[in-house]
Amino acid sequence: MNGVYALKIIKYFEVAKINYFNSLAYVINALSRSGVVVIRIWIFAQLYRITYAASGAEEIGGLTVAMVVWSLMMTQSFQSSGRPPVSEIIDEEVKSGALAYSINRPYSYILFHLSGYLGRSTSSLFINLLIGSAASLILVGPVKITLFGILFGAILMIFGRLLDFLISFIIGLAAFWIEDTTAIAWIYSKGQMVFGGIILPIALFPDYLQKIAEFLPFSQLFYSAARLIVSFDMELFHKFILIQFFWIAFFAALAYFIFKKGLKYVTINGG
Amino acid sequence: MSQLMADKIQKDTSLGTYLSLTWEMVKMNVLSAMEYRVSFAMQVIGMIINDIGLVALWFIFFEKFPEIRGWTFRDTAALFAITTAQFSIVMILANGSFRMARMIANGEIDNFLSLPKNVLWQISLSKTEVSAFGDLLFGLVIYFFSGNLSFESFGLFILLSVITAVIFFNFIVITQSIAFFTGNFEEAAVQLFHALLGFTLYPQTAFFGILKIITLTILPAFFIAALPVEIFRNFNIFSLSLMIGFAAITFFIAIFVFKKGLRRYESGNLINIKI
Repeated sequence: MNGVYALKIIKYFEVAKINYFNSLAYVINALSRSGVVVIRIWIFAQLYRITYAASGAEEIGGLTVAMVVWSLMMTQSFQSSGRPPVSEIIDEEVKSGALAYSINRPYSYILFHLSGYLGRSTSSLFINLLIGSAASLILVGPVKITLFGILFGAILMIFGRLLDFLISFIIGLAAFWIEDTTAIAWIYSKGQMVFGGIILPIALFPDYLQKIAEFLPFSQLFYSAARLIVSFDMELFHKFILIQFFWIAFFAALAYFIFKKGLKYVTINGG
Repeated sequence: MSQLMADKIQKDTSLGTYLSLTWEMVKMNVLSAMEYRVSFAMQVIGMIINDIGLVALWFIFFEKFPEIRGWTFRDTAALFAITTAQFSIVMILANGSFRMARMIANGEIDNFLSLPKNVLWQISLSKTEVSAFGDLLFGLVIYFFSGNLSFESFGLFILLSVITAVIFFNFIVITQSIAFFTGNFEEAAVQLFHALLGFTLYPQTAFFGILKIITLTILPAFFIAALPVEIFRNFNIFSLSLMIGFAAITFFIAIFVFKKGLRRYESGNLINIKI
């Protein structure tokens, strides 16, 4: 009889153990994600400290070391919250044929994915910013952030996200014509890395390159918002928002055109 | 007769057999990827452009700040030559190891348990990342910007790439094998992998204090990035021995962790045929 009870206890113990390990997996994953963010900010803090020390300047391109680290933390947070990339999702829908069903549903295909992208990225954005801000505060101290900076920076961030969505959407739609769009997605992400202020703020670029980089779409994805938040400048806001509007109009028209063209390739089989 | 041959291959565990089988398996993986020629070409070319982007970033950085604690653009070129070559060796020969945590969680290790050769070797070789050929080509080209162009230095570059590839492989095996003990560790293993790779992007003189200790221990970037560049610049036998020693120790740890973990592995009872 005692043996039966012992078996029952073991059974429930095993159930508890399975659930413990299941929940532990999520904790470990969340911790590892945060750990990587902290390490990246730590690297930036050390790299830019010695870089500024080597150049003997307190401020370069209007930014101090602390401002550089905070702006990189923000660009990295904005960028990483957009995962999984829209291009990957659209590419999969085109290749699997799921798109054929989606376009018949009573909603706009583009707006459906845009709202999905915004919803997905908002929750992780707050977590990334929270962990990133705590790490930046400990590693380089605070920076003076104004209410105007946050307000106008948030406007640039929202339009930047829209721009990122449009470009990613176009890359995904390329699956209508090519077998695999991952190579284009890599090039896009590298464009962000070089000209998007993800590792090196554009304010620290040599002058001739700074002017070019500011007019490219990559700098308007995440950098422009981060730059404005750490050091508010109304003139800069006007400049950035105009560049953003230009690229949004350009890529929206391109996305619409490619989507319409791609739809001609969709075949729906009944049965 | 063919049965006898099969038995012989099965029992033959010599290095020569493993090397020739490795060659055959990689060839098979590449040939199957080449069935989709456009995709294959795009992945290789895309990776080269991707790597050029990375170098462009540091080119811009060093245009503005020519030297960071003695580290110049040439050091970054040497760093990228070694790390991209090392990365491509692992991704061509052992990309399967990178998917091990997922295989463990899904019970897919079953596929390899009944095969005649070493299980870890089978898992590692089960996949080849075709874009890694782009990395390999890029590594060879960027080597010419490193400033050391003698025949000996090219040999040293190859040797350092191979030794660091072993360390990198060991790190992947250890982190992916944790899934044997915790169940789901796939995302954490991928994050650790990216954390290690992240260190290899920057001028290595930027790491000091606790961050340096991290690169010497849990994320051994010092041994796959800083030390090989130092040896490449100023060859000394002590540093090279240190690197080989570290590769050997981590290799034994990787094998130990994998074997210990494999004993805990629970079958997924997957009934399917793997062709």
